Amino acid sequence: MKKQVKYKKKLAHSQKYTLLSFEKKRSLEGFLFAVPWLIGFLGFIVVPLVLSVRISFFQTVLTDLYGFHGTSTYVGFNNYVKVIQDPNVGETVFKSFGNSLIKVPVIVAFSLFVAVLLKQDFPGRTVFRVIFFIPVILAGTIMTYLFRDGVGNMSLFSSITTGVQQINSFFGTIMSNIGAIMWASSVEILIFLAALQSVPATLYEVVEIDGASAWETFWHVTLPYISPFVILNCVYALVDSFVSSDNPVMAIMNSMTQEGTKYGQASALSWLYMLATLTVIMIFILLTRRWLK
Amino acid sequence: MTPEAVNTAAAQADAAAVQTEKKLGGIKGFIKKYENLGYKAKKKITFIISRIFVYFVLIEMAYLFILPFIYIFSTSLMTSQDYMDPTVQYIPTTVNWDNFVKAFEALDYVKSFFNSMGTSLLSALFQTTACALIGYSLGRYKFKVRNVIFFLVVLVLLIPPQVMILASYGLWATLSLVNTWGPVVLPCVFGLGLRGALFVLIYMYFFQRIPDVMDDAARIDGAGPIRVFGQIMLPLVKSAIAIVFIFSFVWHWNDNYEAPTYMYIDGHQTLQPRLQNIQMYYSKYATSQGAMSELEKSLSEPMLFAGCLMVMLPVMIVYILGQKQLAAGIERIGVIE
Repeated sequence: MKKQVKYKKKLAHSQKYTLLSFEKKRSLEGFLFAVPWLIGFLGFIVVPLVLSVRISFFQTVLTDLYGFHGTSTYVGFNNYVKVIQDPNVGETVFKSFGNSLIKVPVIVAFSLFVAVLLKQDFPGRTVFRVIFFIPVILAGTIMTYLFRDGVGNMSLFSSITTGVQQINSFFGTIMSNIGAIMWASSVEILIFLAALQSVPATLYEVVEIDGASAWETFWHVTLPYISPFVILNCVYALVDSFVSSDNPVMAIMNSMTQEGTKYGQASALSWLYMLATLTVIMIFILLTRRWLK
Repeated sequence: MTPEAVNTAAAQADAAAVQTEKKLGGIKGFIKKYENLGYKAKKKITFIISRIFVYFVLIEMAYLFILPFIYIFSTSLMTSQDYMDPTVQYIPTTVNWDNFVKAFEALDYVKSFFNSMGTSLLSALFQTTACALIGYSLGRYKFKVRNVIFFLVVLVLLIPPQVMILASYGLWATLSLVNTWGPVVLPCVFGLGLRGALFVLIYMYFFQRIPDVMDDAARIDGAGPIRVFGQIMLPLVKSAIAIVFIFSFVWHWNDNYEAPTYMYIDGHQTLQPRLQNIQMYYSKYATSQGAMSELEKSLSEPMLFAGCLMVMLPVMIVYILGQKQLAAGIERIGVIE
């Protein structure tokens, strides 16, 4: 009898103390799946970021463009001071911020509208769903040529909104390009479609029985349910317009790097710009955190 | 008053109301008629009206989204005379295939195509696998540093590539990998690279939606973590794989910032930067001078759009082939099973 108890104890003991507990093993597994990305993060994000901070404090003159060799002298915060004092840079940055702040609500509202329409069950919706991703194919250089030829203006919407152009030129230039702005909303439509499909069907049934109209259903059921995704889309559209290569700030940065002597200034500008964009995004998230839950 | 009197008074009032209604006619009468209909009829009418509305709006928007295609296609077939002529809209007077031959030469099509295809295909393949790993880790496991890693992923999404491009260029130059596929493909091996963070988030979202029962069952049957991932989880997120692969391929193909920065020597360029050269290439023939006038620019416009069509073609094929998968993916995304 005694022997048996002892044996049982031993068994329990040996089961309990395997190499790792179940929980720890699971979390180690999870971490291991993330390791390759973390290595890449160190190599391709952290190292270049640190180096670019270093560049921004130096005045670099390249002697060999191909091998990226050159002489550099430490100049402290000089590069930053130069960038801030340049009136051209300041104006461009503020203008591009203003542009983005007007563009983003238009993109988000439009993509939400399209997503709501596409979510409905009607014949031929797959065709439409595919059509709305065409701009993704055309992105890049081709889009620039299309803008130049004014293809973005050839739609019913822009003929409606040309009236606005005469009232307010700043707002008007954006509204007249409304087609072009809509082309930027493919990914947002995708995210909204995903969000709309995650609203439980039972909720809709309940409000229909209670006699709510489609309009009321949208404002009181759909919108509150997908509000985090609205915020997410706003953030994505903000980032997209800050980073896109047709942003004038990016053009300034490119011209600085092409001159060959202004690498320090270009780095300083990019850091300042990044901090500014992050601040805008953080402020936005803070203001809207109520709807994030 | 007696009850009868009240009744007759009410009846009279009703009759008067009906008469005024008949007089009103028009919209108000129409609304009244509509309100008197039964529930089913009402529903049918609103259904038909909403259908018409939906189709009307969607077709107008779809037109807006197809328009660039039509524009590129028709312009690429025009002669310069047609392009300059304001009376010619969309339908060229003569079909001019010569544009394509010229664009083919200016693009250095075979070499640039090889470079574009190589970088895009490899990057897309690596990103689809590597981003799945980290997405799986974030979506299915709870461990101490999970939130930290998630925060890092979001941070990568927010950092503009322009901040790092100078320093990265320096790094690749010291590794003497500039003008090879390395700078574009290698970050993708680790799940970074062009919009890698977005793909990680897409995968994470898909993996989170799979019920816990699935991998618990496999684990009880004795499957190891890699087997669970490869044989149970990956087949369940097929639509995510399709979405990530197609988007990654297309975005790499259209990348006109990073790839041209790292690969700029003739013969090592991708198609996108070559496209910018078309007009310069032909203005050289025309005047043998560096600068070109607005007139020259617009004269070479049809060639440019022929080039655009040739650059778009492979992406279109990928898109059309993967369209079914993509549509299914979009359909299934976010559906609670």
